[in-house]
Amino acid sequence: MAMTSMRPHRRRAPIGRIVFIGIYLLFVLVPLYWMFITSIKPSDDYLAVPPVWFPKAPTLVHYTAALFAYRGLQGIINSLIISLSATVLSAFLGTLMAYSLARFNTGGKHLAFWVLSQRFLPPVAIVLPIFLIYRMFGLHDTYIGMIIAYTVFTLPVSVWMMFAYFRGIPKSMEEAALVDGCSRWLSFRKIALPLAIPGIVAAAIFAFIACWTEFFFALILTSRYTFTLPTVFRAFLGFQGAQYGEASALAIVSLVPSIVLGTLVQKHLVRGLTLGAVRG
Amino acid sequence: MAQFSIMKGVGTIPRMSAISEWSDRNFKWLLVAPAVLLILALSVYPLLFSVWVVFVNYDFQIPGHAFVGLKNFQQVFADPVARWSLVLTVVLSAANVTIEFLLGLALALTMVKNFRGRGLVMSIIIVPLFISPVIVGQAWTLLLQRPFGPTNYMLSLLFGHDVAIGWLTESPWLYFALIIADVWQWTPFMFVILLAGLTSIPSNLYEAAELDGVDGWQVFWSITVPFLGPMIMLAITFRLLDAVKLFDTIFIMTGGGPGTKTYTASFYLYTVGFAQFHISQATAGSWIFLIITVVVVSVLVRRLLEVEPT
Amino acid sequence: MTTVKITDLEKEYHGVRALRGIDLEVEDGEFVVLVGPSGCGKSTLLRMIAGLEDITGGTIAIDGEIVNDMRPRDRNVAMVFQDYALYPHMTVEKNIGFALRARKIPESEIATRVDTTTRMLGIGALHQRYPRQLSGGQRQRVAIGRAIVRDARLFLFDEPLSNLDAQLRDDMRAEIKRLHQDLGRTMIYVTHDQIEAMTLADRIVLLRDGVIEQEGSPLDLYERPNSKFVAGFLGSPKMNFIPGTILGRDITLAGGMKLPLPPHFKNAKQKDVIIGLRPQHISVAGKTVASGHAHVPVTIELVQPTGSRSHVTFPLGGVASVAEVDVHDVKSPGEKIALDINMTRAIIIDPQSEKVI
Repeated sequence: MAMTSMRPHRRRAPIGRIVFIGIYLLFVLVPLYWMFITSIKPSDDYLAVPPVWFPKAPTLVHYTAALFAYRGLQGIINSLIISLSATVLSAFLGTLMAYSLARFNTGGKHLAFWVLSQRFLPPVAIVLPIFLIYRMFGLHDTYIGMIIAYTVFTLPVSVWMMFAYFRGIPKSMEEAALVDGCSRWLSFRKIALPLAIPGIVAAAIFAFIACWTEFFFALILTSRYTFTLPTVFRAFLGFQGAQYGEASALAIVSLVPSIVLGTLVQKHLVRGLTLGAVRG
Repeated sequence: MAQFSIMKGVGTIPRMSAISEWSDRNFKWLLVAPAVLLILALSVYPLLFSVWVVFVNYDFQIPGHAFVGLKNFQQVFADPVARWSLVLTVVLSAANVTIEFLLGLALALTMVKNFRGRGLVMSIIIVPLFISPVIVGQAWTLLLQRPFGPTNYMLSLLFGHDVAIGWLTESPWLYFALIIADVWQWTPFMFVILLAGLTSIPSNLYEAAELDGVDGWQVFWSITVPFLGPMIMLAITFRLLDAVKLFDTIFIMTGGGPGTKTYTASFYLYTVGFAQFHISQATAGSWIFLIITVVVVSVLVRRLLEVEPT
Repeated sequence: MTTVKITDLEKEYHGVRALRGIDLEVEDGEFVVLVGPSGCGKSTLLRMIAGLEDITGGTIAIDGEIVNDMRPRDRNVAMVFQDYALYPHMTVEKNIGFALRARKIPESEIATRVDTTTRMLGIGALHQRYPRQLSGGQRQRVAIGRAIVRDARLFLFDEPLSNLDAQLRDDMRAEIKRLHQDLGRTMIYVTHDQIEAMTLADRIVLLRDGVIEQEGSPLDLYERPNSKFVAGFLGSPKMNFIPGTILGRDITLAGGMKLPLPPHFKNAKQKDVIIGLRPQHISVAGKTVASGHAHVPVTIELVQPTGSRSHVTFPLGGVASVAEVDVHDVKSPGEKIALDINMTRAIIIDPQSEKVI
């Protein structure tokens, strides 16, 4: 295949490409590596000059401190509860809405656009009144409050990803089911839904990652009881030097699941990032 | 064939119950109802509520909610920090998005052709997208913070003389720090979208061009760019709309400081609302911010829809 | 007894009138083919009969009952889709049995019916396979099986053979014809392929731009088309259309050549006409000129052999015309030969209205 013509430089020696990619990969990996190393370094090594890249006596002390002394584990549990619940709700409601939009063009351009625009609302404009409202209704620092908030927060992406997905499935199978004897609901449940499962899984994973990594809403809407994992990092602010290890440990614990999940849905990444406007 | 006579028709299906009838007829509305209700409850209602908040004096430090007209807006306009935060937001967003775009494009162009290990490289490149921005800020803080971070030491080695930059405390270096952190996280966003765009260009266009004897740069400008155009618009629009919300990394890396040097719009509003508890003033500010965003969104999305990729 | 009566049917969407004033009656056991060029509304009409499209105006009645507002599931019709629309996540057995299970028919009866159906269609061994494991022809049979297993009162086919390759299409066409003979059910079939229409139909309904151009038996439409469109649509190779002027007892073509008026042509006042001549009615000239025929000398421009026959192109009255001759009669372009034109089988068309006169 004459793919060489795709690049602006013809028949260029690949060395430049390799160097460029290599440097970029370093750029990506170095901060992650340093954070990982910090998490297993004994505290004595922190201020060592030259900086220690390979600790001679790695330790897991920081992990236990982060999880327990700094209540990282509680944060993880809270995040799991909230994120999983919101993900399920968001994927479910989002799929229903997406199906309606895709097959019946419900609400025309206006409904679709309204949902799309939710994605771009600056959180700060929303979170202030929600904070007040939650306080009024006693929803501040509750699981329910956070779950609902995160569901709405992830709905637009779920809806739009599934919308694009359903558009890609020919509707003749659902029509065959209608002729065969199904009501619209049965045709959806028995035919469209099973076929949409890969898309739903991808949308759910995106929603989960979004909830798992969200900070601003959690900062304002949670407190002593339902604080999520990202908010725990507040405790490490104002570095005195003592918490580098704990901060890194918690960071590593936090980012491993989301990276693993994210890598699983690589295929659907483009669809997720562009709200379904582009098929990857 | 005779055997078919045993299969007489099974006739019509039993009619549906009244509830099923009704729900089948209104199926499409029933499907969207829950999601719409949720969004109404948690987006429209709060916004309407905040309209009220903006015109009264909602402040944790002052009792009562007296009506104050446009005073809250005036306070925001009068506050120099507010103006500064807006300027900073615009400048930082522009810088971030531009660098991410150029870097992402360069990456996409080099990764278009398949090569051994490309899959692995791709997986690594996209990792930053799945990390919480707070953690990204954390990671770069660890790298840059004096005296702990190795950055100054490494730079000293590189340049041969002592480098002692306060990456998180001295301007203009702290802006670079913020930009690097943002670029580190969001370049893959551009990369992925642009790569998808590049690979969707039908290769027979390039083959035809090659047969016609068109050379490299011409090919780029006459084939690649027009095809990529809509994708570029899409990527930049989406990224820009997220970039202006910059908050998390600021919070962790500089805390807005020193002083108010790194106050972005969101951070400023956060401070006014949740550190000083001038709720109404913060709400007024956020409405101004919202209106500006809506205007920019409308303009960009309209342009976007006009050049929508198939 | 299944009859379909369509009265003054209208379909409009997005401001476009896809169907206008359609009146059609289908008798019990008839095989009616809806045929026409793309966009003529044939699929839309079929889908409206199935209940998959809304009706803008007019009525559709099945067995005397108006079904305008009836859901597809309640109409007791079966449909075979162009892309087969098999449920990918179900086995062949589940695909075919789906409608029966929806009607809560006991499993034992379902098993019998599915067995009978698959054996009838020659796919008895494929019960546990999934659609993705089947060939195009097998999938087609499963789609048909799904339709016949519950012996619905009306069968609808939406271009079922379009996705098959030519060889398979011929085989499946014969199978569908046989199916109709065996089942005797009323069937409405949509296609853009005039060969399918001619071979399968009891009655053809030719549509163009949302209206019925002509309907009748295949032979009716072939031999007695009422317009240039119908004449040109049916028959392969396409009918030749040559403009000419009537002078006395002859038609004069551009370039001076004269052809005799067909004996059945009565209209005395017509002057400018278009002659419709099928390639099959032009042959290599023999010794004598029969009554109503004409011998014309021509130079062959193009020779396209098709096996035992050859389609040769030559200019006639300024129009590139095609004749179907024996493959051995004309070997190469440039040959000069005399052709016999059988004007008794020609049709005369009015150039303004494009109707046959």
